[in-house]
Amino acid sequence: MSQAGYVLAYGMVTALATVLGVLPFAFVKQVSPRAVAASNAIASGLMLGACFGLVAEGAELGTWQTGIGGLLGVVFILITQRVLAHRDAGFGQVRGAGGRRMILIVVVMTVHSIAEGIAIGASFAGGMTLATVITVAIAVHNVPEGLAITAVLRPQGVSLRSCAWWSFFSSLPQPLLAVPAFFFVDAFAPALPYGIGFAAGAMVFMVLVELLPEAYEEGQRGTVGLLVSLSLIAMVAFQRML
Amino acid sequence: MDLVLVVLAAATGAALAAALGVAPLLARPSPPTAWLAWANALAAGMMIAAAFALAEPVRGPESGAFALGAVLGILLIHGSRAFSRTEGLSLNRLDEANPAYGYEVLLVGSLHSAAEGVAIGAAMANDATFGLFVAAALALHNVPEGTLLAAVFRSRGVSLPRAASLAVVANLGQVVLAVASFAVVAAVPGALPWALGFAAGALIYLVMVDLLPESYVGAGPTSIALAVILAMWAFSLLHGVLRG
Repeated sequence: MSQAGYVLAYGMVTALATVLGVLPFAFVKQVSPRAVAASNAIASGLMLGACFGLVAEGAELGTWQTGIGGLLGVVFILITQRVLAHRDAGFGQVRGAGGRRMILIVVVMTVHSIAEGIAIGASFAGGMTLATVITVAIAVHNVPEGLAITAVLRPQGVSLRSCAWWSFFSSLPQPLLAVPAFFFVDAFAPALPYGIGFAAGAMVFMVLVELLPEAYEEGQRGTVGLLVSLSLIAMVAFQRML
Repeated sequence: MDLVLVVLAAATGAALAAALGVAPLLARPSPPTAWLAWANALAAGMMIAAAFALAEPVRGPESGAFALGAVLGILLIHGSRAFSRTEGLSLNRLDEANPAYGYEVLLVGSLHSAAEGVAIGAAMANDATFGLFVAAALALHNVPEGTLLAAVFRSRGVSLPRAASLAVVANLGQVVLAVASFAVVAAVPGALPWALGFAAGALIYLVMVDLLPESYVGAGPTSIALAVILAMWAFSLLHGVLRG
């Protein structure tokens, strides 16, 4: 296999890892309003925790670039939100606020994968060992991302199979961008801190403006607080371990 | 200067910063609820960023101790709120006439400052510059928190200077806990990731159970999200620039 073939294969592995996040939901049968709040709380914690890793990584590549990327990410979500509300967009059968949240989480996670795809492709410049380490790290941390997507989609009645598909879809930019990033690493590398900042800004803002208010409305404050904190800490500790 | 004195001075400075929180009350003696909500949101953003900073020195195998310490911190705050029956307490009810309410607010304020104290002590034990940075962040965080506390006291007829001193008093616990946790971490080898985790967990939990839900009640989600993220953004940028 040529090296470009490896890049594509590695990107595919990380994308498929996202689907594993659906598995825990295979064991949950009923979805009550309280479970929706719990799901939203867990997704919020995981996404906020993921942002910690992104910012730490972005700061190593360039603090200001990451900061500018972050602001752009916030603006991106503000605009997407307005557009979706204006058109009364829905996700499958679900319209209104629920449908908007579903579209937003898929969009946010997909956009976030772009930076990960570039990271995979660019890492090949540092040799096969580095590329393997980075790929495994990204694949492993994609699992909770699939979990976050499923946690938002599943309570709205989306089938497990569709949740798996959307999780995979959100990670497709990884193989698709890893290859060009590998060939044009000099052109892509400077964009990486902006991309990382963008992903972090978009994720945090999406959590704060959509997921958390919904969770507090539907669930009990103490329970939501516990779930967000515990999943956030788990995600942060997990990233420090890798 | 001995490092313990630096911890003492930094934590005291952070506690005193709460007094600056009365400044908005000079302009508007009875501030609109949205102001309090935004103050809460700014304080929340700085607290999240401070918790993230605490996780940064943790490396590889220490992550386990960090996570366990965090769970302890979360459960301890959760437990003490349930024990003192303040778990559902709203922090910015300016029209609440019940005399117990003022004491409950003071109690919850002290709980917040206790977690901040451990954060300053643990950060200082990791590295003095880093500790000063965390102390400065929590001092900034104490300003909007001071506004909240002072507004509640003012609405209960307490004079402005007294409201300012009460806001500082609610934060005094952090001085004691900063020095104590610094001493423990310095004396016990291997305690650092536990202490960093404990502080990070406690700070995050206080944000998620108090500051954020309170903010969403007082103002719309968009303005709250913007205020939180602005504070996080400014703090992370400053952190990155200082680290070089």
